[in-house]
Amino acid sequence: MSVYILCLVLFCVGLHCVLRKRNIIKIIIGLGIIEYAVNLFFVLTGYRAQGRAPILARDQEILNMVDPLPQALVLTSIVIGLAVTALIVAIAIRIYEKYGTFDITQIRRLRG
Amino acid sequence: MRSDEKGMTLIVKTITRLTVGLILLYGIYIVLHGHLSPGGGFAGGVIIALSFINLMLAFGKETALKKLSEAWVSTIESFGALMFLTIALLGFTGGYFFFNFFLNKGKPFTLFSAGIIPLCNIAISLEVGAGLFAIFAVLALYNGSRKKE
Repeated sequence: MSVYILCLVLFCVGLHCVLRKRNIIKIIIGLGIIEYAVNLFFVLTGYRAQGRAPILARDQEILNMVDPLPQALVLTSIVIGLAVTALIVAIAIRIYEKYGTFDITQIRRLRG
Repeated sequence: MRSDEKGMTLIVKTITRLTVGLILLYGIYIVLHGHLSPGGGFAGGVIIALSFINLMLAFGKETALKKLSEAWVSTIESFGALMFLTIALLGFTGGYFFFNFFLNKGKPFTLFSAGIIPLCNIAISLEVGAGLFAIFAVLALYNGSRKKE
């Protein structure tokens, strides 16, 4: 149970980073931490005690193996996270080009 | 001497020159043994792309793009996607989508086994490696449409 709470703590670290930091690069890092916390939680839900990877090997009998379904899900999630991170970095580059700063309090041209 | 000023310091360049080939070979190993051990097309493709990204970080973007230009990256990425689709469609010769059309499947736990799965792994690795390197190269090459004074 304690590992799930540690996952929640890691999630909250990322959430604090997203909500409180002013630099866009730090916000992107916070989003990455949130993403990895969720991935870690998914993998931990499929874990069994003393479990092994669900892959057949020669001359070996694997008795208890971990659940492969969350691992397949997390692999897809990592790919999507990579694409999202690349998109956010591209938007951050555009913002820096337009405003000359990464500070989100300085980006206020939308205010009327 | 002028070309040495691009990129990082001499220490980083020397270590990169020694290790980048090993990283590329390890990626190819992960791809080719994807049906036998943990890993596979995606993980191996990421490692292959990281070897080129390592080259780009250490020596600057011109050196890396001389090894693998943008046109080649685009071609390889398209080729990977089309190869995966072709493998999937060739399954219709045996009856259905993704049919394992090799009649001789080989012995289990040897390198040449599992039918179309190694071919699928190679296609995925081409797609992922070229795609990841393309994303990094585009972010590195982007100079901004308008120049500021």
